[in-house]
Amino acid sequence: MNRLLSATFPFLLLVGLWWLVVITLEVPHFILPSPERVARVLVERLPLISGHAFTTASEIVCGLMLGTVLGFAVACLIGDSKKLTQITMPALVISQALPVFAIAPILMLWLGYGFASKLAMTTLIVFFPVTASTLAGFRAMPRSWELTFQTLRPKRSQLFWFVRFPLAIPYALSGVRVAASVAPIGAVVGEWVGSSSGLGYLMLHANGRGQTDLMFAALIVLCVEALLIWSLVNRLANRFDQNSHFAE
Amino acid sequence: MLTITNLDLSYPGDEPLATISWQVERGDQIALLGRSGTGKSTLLAAIIEGSPAIIKESERIAYLSQQPALLPWATVIENVLLGFKLRGDTQSSDTTEKALNLLGQVELGTHAHRQVALLSGGQKARVALARVLLEQSDLVLLDEPFAGLDRSTRIQMAALCQTLLASKTVILVTHDPRDAQDWLDTAMVLTTESIKGPYRLNEFASDRALIQALDGDL
Repeated sequence: MNRLLSATFPFLLLVGLWWLVVITLEVPHFILPSPERVARVLVERLPLISGHAFTTASEIVCGLMLGTVLGFAVACLIGDSKKLTQITMPALVISQALPVFAIAPILMLWLGYGFASKLAMTTLIVFFPVTASTLAGFRAMPRSWELTFQTLRPKRSQLFWFVRFPLAIPYALSGVRVAASVAPIGAVVGEWVGSSSGLGYLMLHANGRGQTDLMFAALIVLCVEALLIWSLVNRLANRFDQNSHFAE
Repeated sequence: MLTITNLDLSYPGDEPLATISWQVERGDQIALLGRSGTGKSTLLAAIIEGSPAIIKESERIAYLSQQPALLPWATVIENVLLGFKLRGDTQSSDTTEKALNLLGQVELGTHAHRQVALLSGGQKARVALARVLLEQSDLVLLDEPFAGLDRSTRIQMAALCQTLLASKTVILVTHDPRDAQDWLDTAMVLTTESIKGPYRLNEFASDRALIQALDGDL
């Protein structure tokens, strides 16, 4: 109960401040609607909002899964060879350095305005943190361990599957945790650039019609959704982590 | 067993270290003393990885480090048998029996199926020692293998090494001659300029003699 209270306290404070600003400064509702107004819209338009929320959630979750699988696979493919890592790294960095906003229109052009382009955006944003952390895991083996394993005259593939791979898993998981927190960016940006459903679309649509309260309601649902997905991923990652802790 | 001719221990871009020549005979059991940063571990790495300056009589080398390379999620026996698994060798029941037997010798007989993550530092060092013994290497390199352990565990490890490594060629790298005194007689001293010796380890009984030796003044 105490934990719940300390976790929700910042939000309650924020809502309180919000309310205070609306009341004392008498801000018009199309600039900043009051919390109660947003709450009312949230309840009244719930069927509409939840439909869009489902679209966004499935984009985030699917992108997260696909990006994690791809990121991990790429890291495994190149992680065993220093040279291959050196060659591929610039391309990986570029894939991340290019703002998703810049790529979004191209992806729309290629993949259309439906689910596929949002999935691609989210995957793209998830892919890099997973790859980078997994690669860091492959490099994290202490020198003395490398020497020891070398004296055991291992087969390269056996060394990879029984030693290097499991040692990299905790690192990969921390990448997935980071990825889960940025994945919603991919989905929402994708929806902004072109779509007919999703919370990003709903916000843009509401904004165009001066329905600031609906926009806020969608934003709040997006926050809750992102938080839920993140904590679910975090929980899953923790469970895996317990089975593969690195030597102290 | 090992012939080293003009091996440069310097690390590129760092301060220059000694260029050494050293002959190790089969059956030699030598402590290699030296301050940190004189290239002791570099020397062991060069022996393991190979170098044009080093001629090895055997490729069967075992290495035991301060942080024993044990897979924390695997059991004690799996770690002892790791070499077989990594080579893709079939593990005959003979091998497993031998491994269990060796675990008994390092006083871990009852821990064979425990997860390594749950062991103490001293127990982990003994698991690594059992693996070294199972690998039947001719040359055993020990890089400060007792450094993280308390004094009584160190004494126990030294006694185990003395009995179990008796037939092997051994190089024990350490900066603390007490780790070697209980067990070995001969020492070489590595400084940033040269390798000197052999000395008798009991020559370093007094701290002054030891410091002189590590400075290269003995």
